[in-house]
Amino acid sequence: MTSGSADSGRLEGSRWTPYLFVAPVAVYLLVFQGYPLLQELFLSFTSTSLLAPAQHTFVGAANYTDLATTTDFRKVLWITALYTAACVVLAIGLGLLTALLLNSPFHGRGVARAMVTIPWAAPPVAVALIFVWIYNAQYGIFNRVLRYLGFASGTENWLDNPSLALPAILITTVWQIFPFASVVILSALQGVSEELRDAAVIDGADRLSVFKAVVWPTIQPTVMLLALFITIWSLRRFDLIWLMTQGGPIGSTNTLVIELYRRAFVYRDLGQAAAVGMVGLSIALAVTVVYFRLTIRTERAKGQR
Amino acid sequence: MIPARGAWHGFRMAGILALLGAAAFPLYWMLVTSLTPSSDLFADSARIWPKFSEVGVYADAFRTTGIARWVGNSLIVAVGTTLVSLALAIFPAYALSRFRFRGMTLVGLGLFITQMLPEAMLVVPLYAIFGDLALLNTLTGLILANVAFTVPVITWILKGAIDGVPIDIEEAARIDGCSRLDIVLAVVLPLVAPTLAAAAVIAFFHGWNEYVFAQTLISDQELRTASVGLAGFVGELSTPIHTVMAIGLMYTLPAVIFYLFVQRYVVAGMTAGGVKG
Repeated sequence: MTSGSADSGRLEGSRWTPYLFVAPVAVYLLVFQGYPLLQELFLSFTSTSLLAPAQHTFVGAANYTDLATTTDFRKVLWITALYTAACVVLAIGLGLLTALLLNSPFHGRGVARAMVTIPWAAPPVAVALIFVWIYNAQYGIFNRVLRYLGFASGTENWLDNPSLALPAILITTVWQIFPFASVVILSALQGVSEELRDAAVIDGADRLSVFKAVVWPTIQPTVMLLALFITIWSLRRFDLIWLMTQGGPIGSTNTLVIELYRRAFVYRDLGQAAAVGMVGLSIALAVTVVYFRLTIRTERAKGQR
Repeated sequence: MIPARGAWHGFRMAGILALLGAAAFPLYWMLVTSLTPSSDLFADSARIWPKFSEVGVYADAFRTTGIARWVGNSLIVAVGTTLVSLALAIFPAYALSRFRFRGMTLVGLGLFITQMLPEAMLVVPLYAIFGDLALLNTLTGLILANVAFTVPVITWILKGAIDGVPIDIEEAARIDGCSRLDIVLAVVLPLVAPTLAAAAVIAFFHGWNEYVFAQTLISDQELRTASVGLAGFVGELSTPIHTVMAIGLMYTLPAVIFYLFVQRYVVAGMTAGGVKG
C-alpha cells in the first residue's frame, strides 16, 4: 500500500507539479469553506443582526462569556453529548450485530446485504416525514402497535413529550445510520484470519471468546475510526432533528447545530450563533485530537508486545 | 468453520429477518400510507396492506404539486455535484498519493476539518459570498456549495485507491512518452474505476439529499429542490397525508432503487479506497 509514497522520490517532473494538482481544490475550499469559516470566527466576536449582516459592533468575548454563564447552553451541551454518545454506541452496536449476522454465507445473503442498506439511501427529509407520521400520537403505527400490545405509553405524543422526543429522534437517527456502520464493519471482517479462528475453535473456545480473541483485535481500528466519524457527523446533524422537532419540546432535542440555527434565523443574532458554531467546532477538533492520541498509543502498545 | 447447529442457525435467521424488516418498514409504511383512502387513515384500526386501486393519488400529486419539477431540479443538482466533485478531486487525490511536498499535511488537515463544519454554520457567510458572485438563486450556486462538502471525502477515498496502484505501471507509460496528465487520466483513472464509481455515488446522494443550502440559497419557486419541497409538508396538515407520502415516495424510491443497483460497487470501491484511512 505504501509503494506509491516510498517510490515517489523517483517520480520525475517539476517540483511544482503537486502544487499545480492541488491548487484548484485548495482555492475552491478556501473560497467556499476557509473564508466563510474565518468570517464566522470574526462574527463570533461581534454583535451582528441577521437583518443588517454587514453592520458589526465589536463586543470582544461577550458572546462566549454569555454562553458560559447561561444554564440553557449547558443544557444544549448536555443534550449534544447525550445524542452523540447514544448515536455512536447504538449505531456501532447494531452495525456490528448486523455485520456479524451477515458475514458467513447463507442463501440470499447478497439480497440481505443490499436490503439492509436501504435506510442509508433514503433522503433525511423523507425520513423525517415518514417518522413524524409513524410517531403520530393517535394514528401513528408506532402507538397503534404499542396500544395493541397493551402498553400504557401507546397514547403518548412522542415528539411533543420532553422526555420522549430525544429517544424518538435517536431511534430515527440510528435507523438511518446503522447500515453505514454495518457495511464498514463487514468489510473489516474480511480481514479476520480464518486459520486463527479455526485454531481457536479447535482449542474449544466458545463464540464469545473467539470474538474477543480473534475477531475484535482485527476490526478494532476500523470500529474506532467509525466511532470518530459518527461522532463528528452526529455533532453536525441538522435536517433530521430540525424537521422532526426543531429542537423542542422545551429544548429537549436542542443540539449545538439546532441551537446555532435557531440563534441565527429565529433570534437573528449572528454573533451568538457564530459563537455556538465555534464551540461546536472546538469540540469536534478536541474529539479528533483525542482519537489520534489514543490510536497512536494503542499502536505503540501493540508494537511493544 | 464453526459448526452451524440447528438452533443457532434458526436464531441467526430470525435476527436477520428482524433487521431486514426494521430496515425496510418505514419505506413500506410510506407506500401503504400513500395507498390508503383518507377515511381509512384516521380509522380505529390501521390498514397494513396498500390498496392499489388508490394509485390515482400519485397522478393527483403529480398534477397538483411541483414534485416533477422539484425532482428534476434535484437531479440536476445531484448530477452537477457529482461531475464537479470528481473533476476537482482526481488531481489532488493523485498528488496526495504520489508526491511528498511541503504543505501536504496542511492540505490533508484542511480536507479533514471540512468534515466538521456544519452547513448551518457556513450558510450565513456563504449567502453573502454567493450574493457577490451572483450565484444566489441558481442551481449552479447550489452545486458549488455542495461540492465544497463532497470534494474532501472523495479526494480522500480516491487517494486511498491510487495508493494501491503499483507505480511500475506509471513508469512504463512514462517511458512510452506519456505526459503526467495522460498518465493520470489514461492509466491511473481506469485502474481505480470502482472507487471512482463509489465516489460518484457518494457525491450524487449528497446533492440529491441536501437540504440546508437548498432551503437558504434558493428562493425562486421554480428552482426548488425535492428536499425543500417535501420539507414544506412535514407537520403540515392541509395537504392530505396520503398525497404527502406519495410525493415523499416519488423522491425517495428512485434514490433507493438506484442505490440498490450500485451498492455492490460502492462497497467494493470504498473497501479498495480504504475507508480504514
